[in-house]
This record gives sequence, structure tokens and C-alpha cells, in this order.
Amino acid sequence: MGTVSPLGIGCREASRALRESGDCVAPVTMFDVSKCRSKTAGHAPSLPADDERLHPASRMMIAAALEARAGDAGFVPECAVIGTTSGGMSDGERYFRTQSTRQRGQGALIANYPAQRPVLDALRALGSTAPAQIIANACASGSNAIGHAFRLIRAGIHDRVLAGGYDALCELVYVGFDSLQAATTDKVRPFDRGRSGLVLGEGAALLTLEERTSAQRRGAPILAEVTGYGISTDNHHLTQPHPSGIGPELAMTRALADARRGPGEIDYINAHGTATAFNDSSEGVAIGKVFGARVPVSSTKGMMGHSLGAAGAIEAVFCVLAMNERFLPPNINYREADPAFDLNIVANTAREAELRAVLSNSFGFGGTNASIILEVAR
Amino acid sequence: MSALTSRILGTGIVTPHGTSLAFGKEAPPVSEITNPETGRKHLIATVPAACSAHLGREPRLRRASTISLLAATAAQAAILQSGITPGSRTALVLGVSNGCAQYTRRFYEQIVKTGANTASPLLFPETVHNAPASHLAAMLKLDGATYTLIGDATVGLQALHFANQLLTMGDADHVIVAAAEELDWILAEGHHLWRLTSSTGTCRPYAGGGTLLAEGAAAAVLALEGGSAKLTTVPGQTIPSRRHATAALRATISQLGDVQPDHIVDGANGTWLDTAYAQCGPSDRRVSPKANIGDAIGASALQQVVFATALAGRTLVPALGWNQQAAAALVESSAEN
Repeated sequence: MGTVSPLGIGCREASRALRESGDCVAPVTMFDVSKCRSKTAGHAPSLPADDERLHPASRMMIAAALEARAGDAGFVPECAVIGTTSGGMSDGERYFRTQSTRQRGQGALIANYPAQRPVLDALRALGSTAPAQIIANACASGSNAIGHAFRLIRAGIHDRVLAGGYDALCELVYVGFDSLQAATTDKVRPFDRGRSGLVLGEGAALLTLEERTSAQRRGAPILAEVTGYGISTDNHHLTQPHPSGIGPELAMTRALADARRGPGEIDYINAHGTATAFNDSSEGVAIGKVFGARVPVSSTKGMMGHSLGAAGAIEAVFCVLAMNERFLPPNINYREADPAFDLNIVANTAREAELRAVLSNSFGFGGTNASIILEVAR
Repeated sequence: MSALTSRILGTGIVTPHGTSLAFGKEAPPVSEITNPETGRKHLIATVPAACSAHLGREPRLRRASTISLLAATAAQAAILQSGITPGSRTALVLGVSNGCAQYTRRFYEQIVKTGANTASPLLFPETVHNAPASHLAAMLKLDGATYTLIGDATVGLQALHFANQLLTMGDADHVIVAAAEELDWILAEGHHLWRLTSSTGTCRPYAGGGTLLAEGAAAAVLALEGGSAKLTTVPGQTIPSRRHATAALRATISQLGDVQPDHIVDGANGTWLDTAYAQCGPSDRRVSPKANIGDAIGASALQQVVFATALAGRTLVPALGWNQQAAAALVESSAEN
């Protein structure tokens, strides 16, 4: 697996930041936020590229792909299933700003704008022409991609699938969340009583999923197993979940059933936990209903912001790191429990723990909800 | 496992001619769209508003973008023809290319011209790629698997293959597949700058001169049993660069086996893609519907499939995108529909 996020380049840097409760949210400088309420975001480190025209999303995807290949050079994908929301939107923005004057390079902006471009660039970096399915289920996309890839392998349709997600910061989406007053002027405080919203982040993560006997046959390192996937659609509202938490509840119970696991067998939940009033309330209620207050819960978005279509994939990488390195990632900036739900929050600092099975949630606009279950490799 | 099969229970289509295929060899009606800042004009083919007027009372569609209305119109027609009642085992897969371009342009225009603090929170949610699928799921009261796929002109075939995967995996009993495209001046201008569009308001497959951008949608209801048409889809492949397009399409079609089609409904559109399409089979078996309905990029491959279901026999449907993928499907219809 490979990842780039505000927590750093590569799994090693991410793991260190998770253990050290790094707050990687910083002021936005890449576009004007003077008229926005929110002023901060989680920025991924800038990455060099041979081709200066490469969009930041492509650079992150290529870096994630090359890290994944470095971990398993023999992995040849039969297809790629990738999640995103806004693709190369910032190139579209630059095109809009320059369209009234003919300028050199406008053609490249148009060619790099489509959401499939960073996926193609990553496949090209791997020397692959595998077909790509690009899921745009808003902020659930990354988990949807991993879940669908897992099901393809389990059904015997494919043996090896490159799965993951990406998104790069852009002005349109930043202002969009600001206009909805979903973005905070404070720190990101998932599940805290005083939470006041999210900040955006960015990043990419790719996981090489392979049918177990196929991986064993070629001696590939098996880092973890995906064992369950649940998806649901909540039709309550385009941007707000039903307050009862029915959407998340269905996704989580379907993932548990898919993995043939009971709630008591899950050792950690990496929550969607955006720190908006609506999400955390709905998700908190749903986790309480399905799991009670036993299982440790944290949202890692306090450290790096919400990376939208990449979030589910990045958080899946975090879950694998947590299982293999035996720790619970922290839910930073947490001060006071919200009486609306009763959760065992991993407050502020990482904790040592033996994790056998973990669940990761991702929910998005449009009422899309996805949960995946990952387990230690047997 | 490469090729996957299902049955087509119903189809729906929306083109600049309306909601039926009864337009013969007519060219699409063309209108002008203008960049208000520069005055630059572009010729496009839009869908008459009357096609989706009946959806005005749907609560979730009152403020929805054109693409949502087009997708819903096509999906409703497909569901009606299929006779299914969507329920908890019904999945939805929606393919888009440029997505909600009108609201996206309007929202960003507000940011640039009047400031981020004036950008409308009503517009932003409609810019998200899965807004049309969300509206459609709400309209049909679906609470299961809903997916939006994004891609180039092949995305309609990708959505059908994704649906076949869901059916093969047992994740759904029925899958409603839709694909749609709306237009805005910024898209028309972008494609003009990309040197892909015609300056005459026509699309002449295999004659060069560029394509005619169009609005449109298509839909199909799939299941493992029933219906009068069999659908076979394959994964296809990505294309490293333009010069690999012909080989990629040939390799993709070979994933279907020895097809020997009676017809080929291709995506030829007067651009460089036509060179690859010309290798798909003899010209007397080729049908190129973009001459008649324009090029509704994200919707176009699924529109080709709807055309194919209306033909008796074995129909090959190849599709190529400008920057992503080669895809193909085989439609076997038992009778002329």
C-alpha cells in the first residue's frame, strides 16, 4: 500500500504522525480565503514531478502507486477501482479564470481536468493498461472503491485489483463547504460536544488487493485482509444524514454480516467523524446502536482534515498500520463528551492495543454510506 | 473472469430529438450557446425541456440540474418498460463524464466575480458528481447500493460492466444503469479549444471535421434472467496515449471472443477516434448514431447500447474515450424491438 496525505509522504511518515497525534492542519495559501469563514486545511507535502504540467492529484497518485509497488513489485493489477470527488478541479478553475483570454497551456488544463486523469497517470507510472472504474460517491468513494474491489476478488471476477482514492484541495470545493457553514473556524474536534465543523484535506492512497491463495503462491507480503463491506443509501437530504443514523447503521450492519462478524468482534472503529454537527451526531448514534460504548472509536480527520474521495482509502491504510503496529490512532482536539451519544473515544493520544478486526466508515453527500472491515492477516 | 453477461429488461433514451428512437436519419436540431464574457459562440444540440417537464413535481428534482432531469427521464422510461418495481435488492449505477457542469460553472463564477462569501449554498451540493444518482435514488426510494462512475465517453459501458459485476456477485437482483450529459458554454468552449468540435454544427462520422456536442441520457434495467436481449460486457483497458487507441480497442473487442456481429453501433464522431472505430468491422455493418443525435459524451456509450437493443441479431457496441479507456459490449436481441 502507499499513501500521501497531510501526515506525510508514505506509510512510515503517516504512522509516526498518527502515533504522535500530529496536528497537520495549517492556513490555506494556495488560493484566497479572505472571504471565507474557515481559513485552514490539511495540505499534503508538495511532490516534485518530471512533467511540471502534472496536476497535484496525479503527483500524489503516482507517489502512492510507486510506494505500493515498492512494497510488492510482483503485483500486476487486473483492474483499478478508485474513488474521487473533484478530480483535477483546480485545473478547471484555472481554465475558467483564463478562458476570456487565449493563453498558452489552456489545452493542458482541459486535458488534465477530468477525474480519470490522475488514475491514468498512476497506471502509466506502473506500466499498466488495466481498466479503471472510478467511483464518484462523494466522501464515501474511497471506501466504496476498496469494498467493491474486495467483492470482485471474493466473487472470483478478478484476482488482483488496485484500489484506493484521491482528492486534491481546490477552491471550489473549499468555498462550497464554507458556504454550507460546514467548515470550522476552530480546530477540528470530531465527536466533541463543542465541535463546529470540518476542515478540508487532501491526499491519495492505494492498496494492492489480491486473492489470498494467489498472493501466497507468489510469496507476496500480506499486510491485512478485507473481510466485509456494507453500503447503504440514505434518502433524507442531499447534504444531511437522517438524524436517526439509519444510513450509517445499515452500512455497518451490512459490513458485519458480510464479514460474518458480530459487533463484539470489532476492536476499533475508524469513524467518518468529520466534526460537523450533523455527521458526528448521526454516526455517533449509529455506532452506539450497533456496538454500544465498548469499542474504541476515533476519527483521524482532526489531524489532517477531510480528504473527501481519498478519505476512505487513506483511513484504510491507517487501519492496516494500526493493526500491524498495535496501536489505536488518536482523536485529537477532543475536550468534552457529547451527551447525545455514548462512545469510547480514543481521546487525544494514541494507545497501545492488540487489534484483530477493525471497521472504517465513510459517508458522503447524496446519502452514500460505506463501511469496510479489515482484519489481521491469517 | 473477463466477460460478464446479463439480460436487458428495459431501456430509455433522451436525445435532442426527444425520448424515442423514431427520428430516422434526421440530423439533430442545433442551437447556439455563447460565452457571455467574450461573445464567442458555439453550436450544440440540446434536449427539449418538454422531455423532462413531468418531473417538475418530484420534490428532490425541483432545483436539480439538467443532468439529473435527463438521467431521471431515461431511467423512468427504462423502469417502465422493464416492468420491475425498484426495491431493496435494486441497485443504481449512474455514469457521468463532465457531470453537473452548469451548476459547477455558476458556483465558481460566483466565487470569482462576487466573492466566496456570496457563493450560494444551494448551488454547491448540486455540483457534486453523485447528486443526480442521489436524486434518482430518493425518487425510487432505494436504500441499497448506489454508485456514480465518472469517466470519458466509455463511462456508459463501464457502468453496464459495473452493473454486471453487481449482478454476478449477487449484490442485487436488478440494476438500473443510467448515463447522462448536460451542456454549458464552458464545456463547448473547452472542447473547441481541445480541437474536438465541428464548426458547422454537424457530426459526420468518418468524414472528419469534429464532433457536435449534445445533451442526452440513456438507461437500461439489467437482471440475470428475463428480457429479450442478452448483454455481454468486458473490462476493456486504459489507453496510454492516442496512438494506442486502435490496438486497445481491438484488444478490448477480443475480450468478447469471436463475435461475428450482424451490426456494429459505434461511437464514431468525426474526430481522431474514427480511425480506431474503422477497424471494428466492415462499413456496411456499421451504424454511427452520433450523426443523428450528436455527441452526449458521458451518455453516448449507453445511448449506443439502446440503439443496439432495437436491432435484431448480434450487435457489437465499441466505445473509445478521448483520454481514458477502450470499452465494448455485445447485445444479442432475439427480435426487432
